[in-house]
Amino acid sequence: MTFAASMLAHSLTLAPGGGGDAAHASLADAPIVAATADPSLAWMGWVLALPAISAVLCALCAAFRVKNKLPAICTVLALGSAFALVLKLYLARGPGAAPVTVHLWDWMNFGWGGGPWKSFQADVSLYIDSLTLLWMLFVTGLGTLIALYASEYMEAERGPGYARFFFGVSVFLLAMSALVMADNLVLLYFGWEGVGLASYLLIGFYYRKPSAVAAAKKAFIMNRVGDLGLAVGIWLIWVNYGTVEFGALFQAFDDAARGVGGWDRSLIPFCLMLGAFGKSAQLPLFTWLPDAMEGPTPVSALIHAATMVTAGVYLIARMQPLFSLHPDAMATVGWIGALTALLAATIGMAQYDIKRVFAYSTISQLGYMFMGLGVGTAFGAAYHVFTHAFFKALLFLTAGAVMHGFAGQLDLRHLSGLRRVPGFRIVSWTMLIGCLWLSAFPYSAGFFSKDLILVQAMSSPRFQMLGWIGLGTAALTAYYTFRVWFRVCAGPVAYAPGDEDHGHDDPAHDAHGHAAHGDDAHGHDDHGGAFHPHAPRLAINSVLLLICAGAILAGVPGIQALRGEQNWVQEMVSNSSAVRAAGVDHVTEPVAFGMDPHKLVTVFGTGACLGGIAIALWIHLLDRRMADRLRTALLSNGLTRWLPTSMENKWYVDELYHALFRLPAWVTSHLLHFFDRHFIDGLLVNGLGRVPVAMGRLFQPLYNGALQGYAGTMAGGLVLVLAWVAWKWLGATGGAA
Amino acid sequence: MNPLGLIVLPVIGAAAAALGPARWAKWTAFVASLAVFALSVVVAVQFPEWRTGNYWPNTNEGGALKAFGVNMLLGGDSVNMLLLLLTTFMMPLTLAGSFTAVTEREREYYGWFMLLEAALMLAFLSRDLILFFVGYEFTLVPMYFLISIWGGQQRRAAAIKFFIFTFMGSIFTLAAAIYVAARAADASGAWDFSIAGLTKFGSESLSNREQFWVFLGLMAGFAIKTPVFPVHTWLPLAHDQAPTGGSVILAAVLLKLGTYGVYRLALPMAPAGAVELATFFGVLGVLAILVTAMVCWVQTDAKKLIAYSSVSHMGFVVMGLFAFNPIGMQGSVMYMVCHGLSTGALFLCIGMMYERFHTKEMDAMSGLARHMPIWSTFMVIFTLASVGLPGLNGFVGEFLCLMGTFVAEHDQPAGYPGVMGPWFAVVAGVGLILGAMYLLLLLGKIVWGPLKVPGAHDDPHEHAHGDKGHGGLPRDLSFREIAILVPIAAACLGIGVYPKIMLDVTEPSAANALVAFPEKVNAWNAAHGKTAPAKVALQAQEVSR
Repeated sequence: MTFAASMLAHSLTLAPGGGGDAAHASLADAPIVAATADPSLAWMGWVLALPAISAVLCALCAAFRVKNKLPAICTVLALGSAFALVLKLYLARGPGAAPVTVHLWDWMNFGWGGGPWKSFQADVSLYIDSLTLLWMLFVTGLGTLIALYASEYMEAERGPGYARFFFGVSVFLLAMSALVMADNLVLLYFGWEGVGLASYLLIGFYYRKPSAVAAAKKAFIMNRVGDLGLAVGIWLIWVNYGTVEFGALFQAFDDAARGVGGWDRSLIPFCLMLGAFGKSAQLPLFTWLPDAMEGPTPVSALIHAATMVTAGVYLIARMQPLFSLHPDAMATVGWIGALTALLAATIGMAQYDIKRVFAYSTISQLGYMFMGLGVGTAFGAAYHVFTHAFFKALLFLTAGAVMHGFAGQLDLRHLSGLRRVPGFRIVSWTMLIGCLWLSAFPYSAGFFSKDLILVQAMSSPRFQMLGWIGLGTAALTAYYTFRVWFRVCAGPVAYAPGDEDHGHDDPAHDAHGHAAHGDDAHGHDDHGGAFHPHAPRLAINSVLLLICAGAILAGVPGIQALRGEQNWVQEMVSNSSAVRAAGVDHVTEPVAFGMDPHKLVTVFGTGACLGGIAIALWIHLLDRRMADRLRTALLSNGLTRWLPTSMENKWYVDELYHALFRLPAWVTSHLLHFFDRHFIDGLLVNGLGRVPVAMGRLFQPLYNGALQGYAGTMAGGLVLVLAWVAWKWLGATGGAA
Repeated sequence: MNPLGLIVLPVIGAAAAALGPARWAKWTAFVASLAVFALSVVVAVQFPEWRTGNYWPNTNEGGALKAFGVNMLLGGDSVNMLLLLLTTFMMPLTLAGSFTAVTEREREYYGWFMLLEAALMLAFLSRDLILFFVGYEFTLVPMYFLISIWGGQQRRAAAIKFFIFTFMGSIFTLAAAIYVAARAADASGAWDFSIAGLTKFGSESLSNREQFWVFLGLMAGFAIKTPVFPVHTWLPLAHDQAPTGGSVILAAVLLKLGTYGVYRLALPMAPAGAVELATFFGVLGVLAILVTAMVCWVQTDAKKLIAYSSVSHMGFVVMGLFAFNPIGMQGSVMYMVCHGLSTGALFLCIGMMYERFHTKEMDAMSGLARHMPIWSTFMVIFTLASVGLPGLNGFVGEFLCLMGTFVAEHDQPAGYPGVMGPWFAVVAGVGLILGAMYLLLLLGKIVWGPLKVPGAHDDPHEHAHGDKGHGGLPRDLSFREIAILVPIAAACLGIGVYPKIMLDVTEPSAANALVAFPEKVNAWNAAHGKTAPAKVALQAQEVSR
């Protein structure tokens, strides 16, 4: 086993250009190393236990109405320790160690004979390979940093609300760790729904806002649609392979690869896919993510940008041995990803709320990741997850700092020149880094990771179309990203404060009523004109700088890959179950315009990025009225009016879903309710109940109104008759039957 | 220990509560029910057959009605023990939950409650059909009075409907059971009503056609009790009108009598009939899950919403029972217990809210998280348990019931063929989405949102009252109320995190209940042209090819 692993590592070291053709040959049927049980790693259970303990402590803080920052301290310490444990394991194992399983305790585990198909085993045990560690490192690392950021960001909520927030964050980290480290699909499902719960609780954090409550509900329900797909996938897997544990499954997939699968077997990846699309906000289940921006911004950064939404990518990367058996499923993943990327980018171009722009960019970037998975480079997808986690968290945190400082103002039309506002320098410049990375500026981390995916797409004639969609989307991405930066951070200093407090959870506010709302307790909401932005302080600024440094460093593996060196991310992916998609097998012949895929993507990608930025520079900084003129021109023309209208209205997808699903369900429900009350209960049940009364009237004029007596008599008589009939009939025919 | 004490003690408690001074009644009953709980824990600890599926104790032959074949056979297997513990666990909590809600005719109220517990104990402990029936039917009487005396506006109608509806069904059940006993007496020459004997005779000696009718007869009562769609209409009315305590016990324990009856009597006694009718009941289960879930979604009354959700949830149990494999079977036993905990607790929560506001209309209130944070916390926990969130109790049962249904195909490799299969599970699985829709609607309307307290505008001096709100109750939960909900919440979390204990103990019992099935299912499938070999064999061939 270790021999196989070292052979593999050896072959990868020799591979040129991001694991080129030579690597491809060895990867296509590279063995998936079998996992061994390693009880000595039981301390990894603390990675689950620490957030759980922190959640309990936060709940206690809420119960005892702790008014200081204790919940934040507990959470940051717990998450930091969890990160330290993951790091410790990573350093002890190195990137190339064989996968291990760690059994913690029996969970849903019973049998009727033992072995595949004769037992159901879903324990709380961990499956740790390099893919797990790759995910865990950035989940716990960013989790810690964002909790630290939130300790300052959420300080206006100190009291039960503050504790509730950090309870949610702790629950999220618990569930996300379980999802990533699960050694079976049912525990993964636990994490899957657990992160959904955390997301529900945190999106609805400002629960007095009906829009936040609606958004939380929408997120949970849309995710449930995906979860049903995941559940069906799990059942199908059990029926077909007799187990739900990854270790055994990966071996079973290998055996299955030699046999023919029935239709239900080829349905499995599509079911899992539905789950992934729900969690990762892809078509057709993407509309919950923009609404999820109702949550506090650190939540948007952590859950709805960096970590939770990548769970779908993780699931497909983890189940790569299964997906690689089904080319149609892979192609579907790729196409859904590409189309989502394009659609979300077009919506993002027309939004005015900074967080919404970033939310659509998240959906779009997730689309790239799925495109990467679909075209066959889990390496590219995982690398994009990794770089995206940093730069998108950074962007959201800067947006949060702006929101925090300007009393909830997020409309990019009402903010300008922030880089010259005292105290917002760090915010502006780190946001610039985030924007450059998001728009895949040459030699940024985002450039490298997107490059890998597009090169892989361009290399296959089947997927070349996806590559072009990706390049087109890259231009849109650069445009809408820099639309935000040029509007908000560049240009003359001008701003208007928002009208939103942070949804106080402090009962004292209620006593004063809403009259006190105008002169908010923070003192930064004076509409009189003497508004002073509330500049971020140490915790926020230092976290911004740290994550910015992380975003920059995330480019190192990309540079290595470019120079044909072995790089860290690829090594991690190639030592996991996704080994067969751990490279980028780009062809060296020209595919279009006389260029090979690598050159093609570099040239066109750079062009798209610079072109997008240039247009944004022109119409959003140099001549800002140009953007409005353009919009007015489009709107005044009957032929083009639909374009800005539908982009601003998110292509009416919400309205479409409302008309297609919610409204019919609502009408049907009312009809069923009517049917239940008036037909089943009213006509059948009550009607039958009146029969004895009527019979009583008929046979007994001295009717005394005791309904029970009649019903009882009637029923008794009925039964006697029926029993007699049955007895006779069975006596005549039953003996022989 | 002789489990007879578990029946006698509540009767003594009932007498003491009913005959003692009125102001002591609640404490008498509460202490008695605690004593019953303690006794049941002792019995459970002593119970030696947790892992074997055997019955215990096995010796109590004899009794006054011996001549008629009725034996004083008491005892049970692990599933009886679980339901017993569920009953004795919920009972003191329910009684404590009635302390402030019931202020009139307290002696009768607590007396009836203790009699109800005695009847439930008898039903869950009987190994004789007639005794089971006595307990099963006798639960109607206390419940009838609990609804009709302490209920809401339409309490009389609700109580009568509850009584007649379930009583009519159980007459058919009794008729079917007596038919089996009569046939057995014909064969052996002596009357014997022991469940084990009748089960053996029924499954082995009755013809398929007889089993069909026997099963239908038995199900007539049990389906109404469960309740299965479309004979569920007594339940929303009864829940809506019953006092909180009545609703809690109705949802937590009484409904389980129906599914327990299916599990213990109907399925083992007439397996061929069960197989014949499995598709029918499977369809009813799916309809229950989907139709009542959608009906839930348009309710305006919080208590009615939860009442309908009970019907929807019991649909999962029905699916699991008719899957005929250990996954579904154990899942449905899990779900019986878990539904008892989470739905019972939800009714308690709604009752606590009702005591404060005297309304259950969801539109009349909003954003109570601000007004009653502790109550809201519990409400969220139990709602999530009810939604089936993994890590809480509801998930294990729901997931296993659906999975059992999913794998219940004629050619599935688990060794337990079934007649339903993936489509049943996938369509029923839509219930997972609908469940989230209506339960989160409930949370969204009353727990979250801008603060609106019912009746607050009538009372401009509300703040002058300080923390004391309505009816002498504090604004948020009192210590007593928290102490009621905490044990249930702990049980929900405990089962969710470590369901292994329950899965282990239900394993042998489920295997016993299923012993006749693979053969009957195969015969039925063969008769219906489904003769494909099991999938494993198929795959083995493919690999070798």
